[in-house]
Amino acid sequence: MVLVLQILFVSILACLVGLFLIGLSRKVTARIHWRYGPPLSQPFIDIVKWFSQTAVSHGKLFDAGMIFSLTGSVVVVLFLPFGGICPLSGSGGLLVILYLMLIAPLGIALSAGESANPHASIGVSRKMQLAFGYELSLLMILLSLMTYYRTVSIVDIVETQIQAGWSLVQLPLVVSGLAYLLIMPAIMGIRPFEMIQAPQEISSGPMAEYGGKFLAFATLQHAFNIYIGLSLFVNLFMGGGSNAGYFLIKLLLAFMVFQVVHAVWPRFRIEQAVRYLWRWPALLAFIGLIIVWVTTS
Amino acid sequence: MTKKSGKMDRNNIGKWFKSPGNMGQKYSLHALYFCTGCGIIEIPPTITTRWDAERFGVIPVATPRQANLFLITGYVSVKTLRYIIRSYEQMPEPKYTVGFGSCPINGGMYWDSYNTIKHLDKYIPVDGWIAGCMPRPEAVFVAVTHLWTLIDKGMATGYLKYREHYAKYRRNQEKILGELEWPPLFSKEEENEKSREKVAG
Amino acid sequence: MKLEILLAVFFGGSLLTYLLGKISKRARDILAVLVLLFATAGITSLYGKSSTATLYTGFLDFPMVLSIHPFAWIFALTIAVVGLCAVIFSWLYIRKKGRTDFFYFMMLLVIFSMIGIVLSGDFLSFYIFWEMMSWSTFLLISYNRGKAIAAGMKYIVMSVAGSLAMLVGMISLYTQTGTLVFEGISGSLNSASSGYLQFILILFFVAFGIKNAIWPLHVWLPPAHSEAPSPFSAVLSGVLIKIGTFGFILLIYGIIQVQVFVNLGHALFNVRNLLLLLGAVTILIPTFIALFQDDAKRLLAWSTVAQAGYIILGIAYGTSESLSGGTLHFFNHALFKSLLFMVVGAVEFRTNGVRDLNSLGGLIKKMPVTFVAGLIGVCGLIGVPLTNGFVSKWLIYHTLIVNHSPFLAFVALLGTWGTILYSYKLIHHIFLGQLPRKYEKLQAAPVSMKVPMIFLSLTVFVFGVLPGLPLHVINLSELGFGMEPLAINMWGVVTGSGSIQMLNIATALILGGIVLWLFFRMGPKNTRADQMDNYAAGAPVPADRYQYSVKFYDPLTRMIAPYLKDIADNFYSALARGIRNAGNGIRRIYTGDVGNYALYIILFLAILIFIQLYWKVW
Ligand code: SF4
Repeated sequence: MVLVLQILFVSILACLVGLFLIGLSRKVTARIHWRYGPPLSQPFIDIVKWFSQTAVSHGKLFDAGMIFSLTGSVVVVLFLPFGGICPLSGSGGLLVILYLMLIAPLGIALSAGESANPHASIGVSRKMQLAFGYELSLLMILLSLMTYYRTVSIVDIVETQIQAGWSLVQLPLVVSGLAYLLIMPAIMGIRPFEMIQAPQEISSGPMAEYGGKFLAFATLQHAFNIYIGLSLFVNLFMGGGSNAGYFLIKLLLAFMVFQVVHAVWPRFRIEQAVRYLWRWPALLAFIGLIIVWVTTS
Repeated sequence: MTKKSGKMDRNNIGKWFKSPGNMGQKYSLHALYFCTGCGIIEIPPTITTRWDAERFGVIPVATPRQANLFLITGYVSVKTLRYIIRSYEQMPEPKYTVGFGSCPINGGMYWDSYNTIKHLDKYIPVDGWIAGCMPRPEAVFVAVTHLWTLIDKGMATGYLKYREHYAKYRRNQEKILGELEWPPLFSKEEENEKSREKVAG
Repeated sequence: MKLEILLAVFFGGSLLTYLLGKISKRARDILAVLVLLFATAGITSLYGKSSTATLYTGFLDFPMVLSIHPFAWIFALTIAVVGLCAVIFSWLYIRKKGRTDFFYFMMLLVIFSMIGIVLSGDFLSFYIFWEMMSWSTFLLISYNRGKAIAAGMKYIVMSVAGSLAMLVGMISLYTQTGTLVFEGISGSLNSASSGYLQFILILFFVAFGIKNAIWPLHVWLPPAHSEAPSPFSAVLSGVLIKIGTFGFILLIYGIIQVQVFVNLGHALFNVRNLLLLLGAVTILIPTFIALFQDDAKRLLAWSTVAQAGYIILGIAYGTSESLSGGTLHFFNHALFKSLLFMVVGAVEFRTNGVRDLNSLGGLIKKMPVTFVAGLIGVCGLIGVPLTNGFVSKWLIYHTLIVNHSPFLAFVALLGTWGTILYSYKLIHHIFLGQLPRKYEKLQAAPVSMKVPMIFLSLTVFVFGVLPGLPLHVINLSELGFGMEPLAINMWGVVTGSGSIQMLNIATALILGGIVLWLFFRMGPKNTRADQMDNYAAGAPVPADRYQYSVKFYDPLTRMIAPYLKDIADNFYSALARGIRNAGNGIRRIYTGDVGNYALYIILFLAILIFIQLYWKVW
């Protein structure tokens, strides 16, 4: 019973936090642009609207992929510690999270592929390449963490940090932490790594054929995605949180940093992005992994 | 437009529970990024820092599938009409069209041009007009608040009209564009219409 | 059932199938399936048994021994089941092509000899079955004639070189220990020097590595896989190359013993590290090369090479968890890769032999079952949770991380992320996107193809949710090798540093999916749009004009192409060129590149033997 409550609590809260952050992002961007900006509730309004619209479907997989994708995101959230609460902790740890994080983009990719729209396919192709770009560093960063803490369980990592301090300021891990900071915008898909959607050139890419409730689902998925990206960083490098409030504050803090980057940067081309990701962050992550490997052996 | 109906009721929770659909449509008008004629020059200031349409929930979106507001920003040449119709048909319902400038209303200064159409509402239903050559960005906001009123009162029903009189619209479209490449949007209605015509004939 | 009866009936059945084909085609088809059903049932009935039977002792004092143990059982069962599916699949597939009697006979013979290899208890029978397998494989690879003959030649030349290496190893073992029975060898190798063991290991690794397509020895595999008839590609990729894996496990864990193997040689330069390195390279390079492929079967072939790398990594690492991971990955790979070859085969069958990814598309509308099978296969290949590939890869990563080898783990993980790219390419180009007009009349795959595909998809799913089933058998075999078995239950594995429970993951995913599906249904009903009713900036989409799948990952591939050459192939070619320039005599004997591959390997072995004979370094 407690488990069910926890699951509901965490997933709904994550969704709300994600949507709130989307709204906040729009507001902050507007303020940086010297505009007034939409109300914070705008994402909620949009979702209500999309649910009251008709939509066009391109086939069974078009629907199924979307549901599959959102399911993947919700399930990942259940595996991430939320300030002391982690509903499904004992079932695989970081490696499982890493794999579950695949489901969301894969679902969108399948659904967008079914739509037979060239823009969608181009967007998916970019997403795949970008993911390959940042995974190179992300994998090394996660491996240096797992090697350092000698476990694959994220709950253990958080607990060790609560006692020993943030990973970000631990000497062998600081390089990996820096690398993580550099790839974070790519993981969250914000500028300068927004080429997946790029409304001006490929008509919002994978989203091109979505309307109505598909768009609502896609936005929810995006909200979860933002939450997952941030919460992974907070849990792994900023010591998680001993309670939910503390955790949310850290989440907000991390978010604001990337939001400023998002508001002022233009967009990379995909090959520029991959080249960037494979150069500096990868180099840092590699050095970090070597440092950890040497210091722990 | 009365003063009262122009007031924003976005934070009225009661109304949100009474008619979430309408409220959602009102405060999340996603305009299709589609430019015709000279009027498009007024859109950038409208959506960026100077006038910031986003504070009313109006943002431009890339594809018709995501849009529910179609701004026809100026004269419509025959060639563009084809794309307008196609885009309009791809938008999800409910959807609203606003003719921007005098050209879509009655041809404006192109009233005698051989390759523009004169009356946009013969080809797709239009929910509101903004007169002027060209109208200022403020006029867009006036149109938006007006549209809110119409949505509230259930009068922004252009898309329903399109459904109802689809055969007639299609006939008008085909008259000026010739054979259309895509199948009719509402095939049944058209057949009904045809059979009705036969009976009448 | 007695092992010799099983094998004898199987062989007799194969012959009978060939003869029956002259009388009645239908009867032959059914008999082929019956023979395999019999073998599957027979092997299943041997579950959990360990026994050895000496068949014949007369021949030059070499006894022929057959033996069964849990480890051989899981291999034999996989071979029989994949073989069964492939033969059912080929009912209609091969009818188009002619020479069907021959095809069935060879197919059964290959499966028979593989089961023979797995069940043999001494090197002599091992070698005999091995040769049978090699030659019948050669005949099947070049079944399609034309390009296939060159592919077959490439295969057989390398294969002969491998057999030669094995023969040398066998003879050396015999002179050292005086017996060819596995148990006997294992007993008397205890006192052998570390140098000698490494010598033996290298010899056998050449033999097994060629079959298993480890990186510098993989060159035969891509052409062979893509030219062979699809049902046989399924067997070839699913189980045949894994006979090499079987050999590795047998040698390392069964004969030499893993503790000895791990501590062999110098701390840095030893056979284990060499194998680990080769395993890592085998994952990395073929994964990248697969990204470039436009031929569906060639893409899958490169993917097979890459997946073999995981298995090698698992086996050579030498902990009980890694062995479980490697063996489980063999088992899983056999299921999903043969499934994928069948999917591609079904598409090839319906489109009259189109394998070029760039000229297909949108087939999901015409072949939905095949698509679902393909999707499940691809998910297994990637290791998406709930499919079987997930657990085996998790085991391999976990053991690598916990035992402090982050770089190997990194390569393994990165390989998976590359896998996603080419897997999506495969699925997208064949099944998603626009349906070309010429395929508007395409029919769904016939029932005889659907049945094996559905069956294999189900197994991929079931063993993904219940990994305890195969892991239980693997645990039994690890006990047989004298290793500590893993702590498993039906749903997963428990280790001290992190555990995996598919129960939680499966419940969360399935329940979450259902809830969200209901939520999705609550919204307004959506209307169905045609593929031509698509956003194209307002213009109607022209049919058959959009070919947007060509060079799908162009920005990425353009970047990595300069760094990525098939170094091994180039090396062999350069070597071949060098040798060709060196002497006309050699050219007269060995024509073409393939010959020179073999020559290189043989020369290498000759040098090894020479050194050993004169200086006795090992
Ligand atoms: S109304 Fe005036 S500004 Fe607008 S399109 Fe016509 S001529 Fe141009």
